[in-house]
Amino acid sequence: MLFHTWPFVLFFLIVYPTYLALKGTRFRLTWLLAASYFFYAWFNPLYLLLIFYSTLLDYIVVARMAKSRRREMWLSISIVNNIGLMGFFKYGGFVTENLNVLLSSLSVTYAIPSPGILLPVGISFYTLQSISYVIDYYRGNIERENSFIRHATFVSFFPRLVAGPIERAKNLLAQLQNRPTFSTEDISDGLSLFIVGFFKKVALADYMALYVDKVYAAPEQFQSPALILATFLFCWQIYFDFSGYTDMARGVARMMGLRLMLNFNNPYLATDLGDFWSRWHISLSSWFRDYVYIPLGGNRRGTFNTYRNMFLTMVISGLWHGAAWTFVIWGTVHALGRFLTRELERTSFYKEKVPKLIKQLLVFVFVTFTWIFFRAESITDAWVIVTRIFNSGLANPHCPLLALAFIFAVWSYQLVYESKIKWVLELRAVRIVILVLIVLYIAIFATSSEQAFIYIRF
Amino acid sequence: MQKKNVLDIQDSSRPANTFDIPFGSNCVRLSGCEWVAVGIIFLALFYLGPMLWERSERFEPGLDYRLPYELSNDYWLYNRYCRWAWSRCETLVIGDSVIWGHYVSEHNALSHRLNEIAGRNQFANMGVDGIHPVALEGLLRYYGQAISGKNIVLHLNPLWMSSNKHDLQTDKEFHFNHPGLVPQFVPKIPCYKVPYSKRISAVVERYVPFFSWTSHLKIAYFENMDLPTWTMEHPYENPLKPITLVIRTSGSHNQNEHISWDERGISKEDFPWVRLESSLQWNFFQRSINILRERGNRVFVLVGPFNEHMLKGKSIDTYRKMKDEIAAWLQRENIAYYIPPALPSELYYDASHPLSEGYAMLAKQICENRPFRSSIFWSSSNFATPDRD
Repeated sequence: MLFHTWPFVLFFLIVYPTYLALKGTRFRLTWLLAASYFFYAWFNPLYLLLIFYSTLLDYIVVARMAKSRRREMWLSISIVNNIGLMGFFKYGGFVTENLNVLLSSLSVTYAIPSPGILLPVGISFYTLQSISYVIDYYRGNIERENSFIRHATFVSFFPRLVAGPIERAKNLLAQLQNRPTFSTEDISDGLSLFIVGFFKKVALADYMALYVDKVYAAPEQFQSPALILATFLFCWQIYFDFSGYTDMARGVARMMGLRLMLNFNNPYLATDLGDFWSRWHISLSSWFRDYVYIPLGGNRRGTFNTYRNMFLTMVISGLWHGAAWTFVIWGTVHALGRFLTRELERTSFYKEKVPKLIKQLLVFVFVTFTWIFFRAESITDAWVIVTRIFNSGLANPHCPLLALAFIFAVWSYQLVYESKIKWVLELRAVRIVILVLIVLYIAIFATSSEQAFIYIRF
Repeated sequence: MQKKNVLDIQDSSRPANTFDIPFGSNCVRLSGCEWVAVGIIFLALFYLGPMLWERSERFEPGLDYRLPYELSNDYWLYNRYCRWAWSRCETLVIGDSVIWGHYVSEHNALSHRLNEIAGRNQFANMGVDGIHPVALEGLLRYYGQAISGKNIVLHLNPLWMSSNKHDLQTDKEFHFNHPGLVPQFVPKIPCYKVPYSKRISAVVERYVPFFSWTSHLKIAYFENMDLPTWTMEHPYENPLKPITLVIRTSGSHNQNEHISWDERGISKEDFPWVRLESSLQWNFFQRSINILRERGNRVFVLVGPFNEHMLKGKSIDTYRKMKDEIAAWLQRENIAYYIPPALPSELYYDASHPLSEGYAMLAKQICENRPFRSSIFWSSSNFATPDRD
């Protein structure tokens, strides 16, 4: 069930009061686990088998690791299992398709049948979270979790189950291990987060989607202005969609006294690509940093190895997003962008003379350009879009001005938020007015469509 | 020396303090007291918003008003119209497109014809285009509370029992009219298969006037689209511009057909009538009668007249039997009714809708019907002769 739908409201109205009633008892986590499994089963009851299997295996792996000298073997089992699960469900079709292309190019008439497997919602997120737990234990960063219930709750905690944040055991598991303490501030903060997230998703992301879907469904029918605007709107759609989801997830968790990590920090105000990735999908980028980039060597072995490691990390990150070459290209282009901004920042001219706003705009334009590959249905479509942006006509794009007005309002808010006049936004009257307007807009005008979250399909 | 596993290389910087997690990346953060203030503001708007809007919005139905075709799904407006009609007209004529007058102008619909005979504006056209008995029950239950202590002519269009599909009893999903008015959960309607979230939205809208009001805004001012979709159609227009605070009193649908069904090439049909005792539509029509009676209304039921000239084969006898069963039930329940004979063939546009002349003839027949005269017109001084004064 999606956060912005009535079934979730009903679900939460049952889960939350019961959780509050049980919060001081030993049944708290059992209830949370049951609710999480119910939440997950709502998508498809068969998914429960997978998550339970993955959870149980990692629990056993860590238990064995604690008693065994062959810790690497157990670690490998966990990693192979989790990556294998994700690989099978997520990349089975992709691999088959590409093998068939290869066979066809070699004039082999046989075609491998497509597995036709349904991708379990959230598998990309909870497998990474589970891997991080095992690795952190292996490294000695955390203690083993003895309670299976607590461990399972950590893996399947419903607010973050289907689209993150990808939590670390040091944060979420530690909170589950402690006696819950929460105050009215948790409820008020949680509500604030949830409402803002809801607005981002329902009022903004789903609105942008109307135009983006229309243009990206048939890019050859549109000219440069429409393609540019659709890409610009997609850039914000994916931000509102994903950060909106995360805000709702964090809000729900916060109302339960649990703090999930910040996952988005005004990424379109980044001044270089490294900064962008420290602001966008923070839980994923930090996961790749800690468990891919740094183990590869990080930046410790010279420039070539640094860039090699960066490149591999970004490409794998791109592939994580989806089983398609467009995501690989997206990751590759981001890697190249990181190289470029890293080198530029080494020059005194760029570092000291180029105004911050210009840097932000350059990064924004670059990131927006890369979103073409992320959103396009295929490489062919991406190529059509890129070429038509530069050499098609200037037909009227018919892009809703209201959508653009919303974007500029949000963008301005973010700029002020990171400026010296941030205090204006902190005024009580401003906060209250903004929230009332948000709620009113949602209640009166928001789209009635129920678009799924973009990242739920990764 | 043991070779280090690649994963042994650790990041030298530790994660931040577990609970040192920032609130978010914006300042939209309220304290408990501030939330209470917002809650009060919002509740006030929730409650007062529709009321204040109704006072500001101009709605002047006038003679022979019928809900414009484009506003057929505007139940908030229907509720308002009910209150208007209740205060101005003695008799409300309720039904589907046959009453509404789908193929005639409002000046040729049944209520107008009845007013012509009565010599005054006694009858209000409360028809809703496309509303079938299952939805009509919902309309009366949730939006027709103002209809009390009145004379009601409640029309039953037998077409709704002419097949399993019309009777909403097919298992295969199909999209029927006014889904927001039908029971969302119980009893189960076989062909109604929308997701739970849509069903819950429909229920919420019925019980929270604020949401039926927001639907009204969408339907009345934004061409039955939500605002974002409307801006896709009108990308450069000011979204506040359509909100004129004036309800249109006529729609774009203003047909005045004169060609009969057989001239249009429609052939006779062997209708697979459903059995009355298992008919969903009939069951809900009975409920509608009960709702109206419980609210102190005097109900007169008008059945058809169905275009029997279109029937062939066994459907002729089945239909006649169904009419007898309907009449028997109405008699048992002591409900005044009239099942007029079929109009001449050339006065029908299709299976159930008369042409202009058909409505005129039907009105005349109704006014000559004794139960109608005694139940709806309770003093002879109110009733003019069939010819207009």
